[in-house]
Amino acid sequence: MEGTFKKETNTIGAHFSLRQWGSYNIAIWDTAGEEKFCGLSAFYCRGAGAAIFAYDVTSEDSFHTLRARFKTLLQDADKDCLVVVVATKVDLLPSHARAVSQDDALILTRELNSAPLEQLPYFETSSLNGQNVVKVFEYIFNQKLSHQNLEEQNRTVRSSTVDLRSSSRSSSSKCRC
Amino acid sequence: MSVKAFDLIPALERLKIRCIECWGTNLYLGTEDAFIFHYILEETVKNGSVTFRGEKCSHRHLPAKKPVLQLKAASALDRMLVLCDGVISILHLSTLEPISGATKIKNVALFSLNENPLESSPFSVEIVVALKKKNVLIFTVTEDKMMLKKEISTQEPALALAVDGAHVCVALQSQYKIGNFETGHVQELFPYDREQVNPVVIRISQEEFLLSAPGALGMFTAASGISQRPPLQWSANLIHVVYTHPYILALNDEFITVHSILDQQQKQTLPFMGGRCLGEFDGRLVVTTASDVYILAPVAIEKQIEALLADFRVSEALSLAQNARKTGLSKEQFVKMFRQIQLKAAFIEFSQMHFEEAFKLFHEGKLDVRELISLYPRLIPASSEFVRSIPPLHEIADINQLARGDRVKVQEFKDFLLRYLEGVRGTPRGMNHALEIDTALLKLYAESGRSQLVTLISSDNACDATECATCLEKQGRHHALALWYYHRGNQEMALRIWSRLTDLELLWKYVDWTLERSEEDGVKIFMQHPKRKVESDRMKPENIVKHISRFPKALVAYLEFLIFTQKSQKETFHTHLAVLYTDQVTGHLKDTNKEQLVKAREKLSYLLRESDLYQVQLLLGEKIRDTELYPECAILYGKLAEHEKALDILVTKLHDFSAAEAYCITASQGKDMACRKHIFLLLLSIYLKPGDE
Repeated sequence: MEGTFKKETNTIGAHFSLRQWGSYNIAIWDTAGEEKFCGLSAFYCRGAGAAIFAYDVTSEDSFHTLRARFKTLLQDADKDCLVVVVATKVDLLPSHARAVSQDDALILTRELNSAPLEQLPYFETSSLNGQNVVKVFEYIFNQKLSHQNLEEQNRTVRSSTVDLRSSSRSSSSKCRC
Repeated sequence: MSVKAFDLIPALERLKIRCIECWGTNLYLGTEDAFIFHYILEETVKNGSVTFRGEKCSHRHLPAKKPVLQLKAASALDRMLVLCDGVISILHLSTLEPISGATKIKNVALFSLNENPLESSPFSVEIVVALKKKNVLIFTVTEDKMMLKKEISTQEPALALAVDGAHVCVALQSQYKIGNFETGHVQELFPYDREQVNPVVIRISQEEFLLSAPGALGMFTAASGISQRPPLQWSANLIHVVYTHPYILALNDEFITVHSILDQQQKQTLPFMGGRCLGEFDGRLVVTTASDVYILAPVAIEKQIEALLADFRVSEALSLAQNARKTGLSKEQFVKMFRQIQLKAAFIEFSQMHFEEAFKLFHEGKLDVRELISLYPRLIPASSEFVRSIPPLHEIADINQLARGDRVKVQEFKDFLLRYLEGVRGTPRGMNHALEIDTALLKLYAESGRSQLVTLISSDNACDATECATCLEKQGRHHALALWYYHRGNQEMALRIWSRLTDLELLWKYVDWTLERSEEDGVKIFMQHPKRKVESDRMKPENIVKHISRFPKALVAYLEFLIFTQKSQKETFHTHLAVLYTDQVTGHLKDTNKEQLVKAREKLSYLLRESDLYQVQLLLGEKIRDTELYPECAILYGKLAEHEKALDILVTKLHDFSAAEAYCITASQGKDMACRKHIFLLLLSIYLKPGDE
């Protein structure tokens, strides 16, 4: 949420942060994408109101992993959990080939969200230059929080991000939102 | 980087330890060979270092001849619960003798005391028991009875458990679950592989547990099955974990690691080979190998904080301090201690030029702002009574030491101080030290030439008088210095400085400023302004006259200065002054009190008589002829050598015959006799003229 990004090592287990958004407390989990943490990721996704599924736009594998794992991750999340699909590392596109088309991403986005939405929650971001990153979170907060009535204002909305970056490029920068 | 949170101190030696229990100074060891030993711990403090010694008190050999798996003292009931050979039995706490006729629970895998019981009663405790089959039960234990209250089926035998209220968190063969005795609901948490993970479950606080998870992670979970803290990263081969606020200690086969629950970071590692048991008993931490018992003595929280600060680990120190509230300080003591730490932390941030953090901490720690000012050479006035806090809040000599001669850095430090002082000035806290704050601000403004200098000087301030004047002088802030005197009632000094201003822009700016306040004072700036060989256009009298024309008193004073003091021969000045004088006289004509009028007329006639440089015609025609200013009119006619008209006025309008005669003499002075005769003749003919009477 700081909008700026540091070079980070891999997430071990999960990274957690709490942010204020207006009168809301937003709990954000950044969970590890590695297979061995998969069981834990599902645990962290329990009761989540929103999830961000991030993949590396230059890696087809990362997109497929996302597809393969999303069901188990989301089984304990809220039934109307908002799932935002995020293509990361778009700053690499001039020099690297795009491995995942927008169409494929949009199809996945549609599959993941059962609730009707005006706009499909798909974003192309770069954590390196901050492109669209804040937008992703604002989109989520607006979607999830504007519908709640005022009495619920102080309830904590849990949001989980699942980071499925390809392990082939470990020096990538990573969103620490 | 690490902090020393615990010292490892040997307490006693005993073989084949399987489990430990402790209450007060009583230490109980359960052994592999069915013994229970009771020791009294003696703690001695010598030269600041603590030593422990265990005095053996009693022992008992259990008939089962199997390992003593768990011991739990219920001191309020004077009972000890012991798990051995799958049976929980009740013993006397003091003698460790069995209670005859007491209930036993069989087929037990493990049990745990409920520290947050469903029914709290002084005559009973609650335990949760995992049977070797597939269920977990909650019992109420009295002096001699254990009564089943609730039961949950877990479908698999439990390997570890912890309880809080109605919630029980259990490690089963391949996963963790949380059950609720009141609702019967069982919630799955996450799976684990027994080959790789030794299941550990401990209670952290109300409705929160900590579990060992794959990847040597410590996972926090709330009773609702969600996690609200990031995990801890432990090492492999975990044996047991305990929590003593704010630390989580984990024992593995080689180390005891200490993590903070506050930031989930590892704080200390104690090498400890062959660890067997680790227990926390009302804050006392006991760790054993198979044969030795050690006490983990907490290092005083203040020492830990000091150590963190010494390492510049400010946020950790603050976080630790903030959570030290539980360490038995009163609220006031705590607040005092915490502020002190905030300030120490603030000075560390300050010395590292982390100004945002420093600002916040100075503010929150309610800094005596003089501590900060005193780091800047020559800013604290000599008249201040300030001495630095003892014990010191920092080890900084001054900002020059911090900046190491880097002028950019020095400036950054000064900018910070300015910002801080501006923030604190005028607040209740600032009021107490107004002298130091205002003086420091003035000096900083003066040095940097900021416009706020004038604002500060022109408003109420508590600046040190001598030092500020000296500083302004030294910094060449002449205008500010003049203002300084002006606002302290020393107009003379102020005007003297202003008139010396070489910066004409400033001078002009201040002329208007002073003229608006006092025309008489303002005009003195010009009158006192030193004459130069080459005068700039703006300082030429014509231009000055033009500039001050909207200030009538100043204008008159300046023209008088030009004519009478400087002896200016310029016609325009003389005429201008005469016109102004005439206007003054006319203005006073209707006054009932004639005093002003008389004075004004004296001035006017003096000028008219003494000066030969004004335009007589203009004055006569425009201003005087058709008025009742007869004496003045007479003077003007005289200047024009129209003696008849002059005398006519004196005689017929003023009936002042002696004046008329005096006129004749004055007018003919220095002239020949014929001239004088002519003038007297004129007078005579006027006398002889047939008058109205």
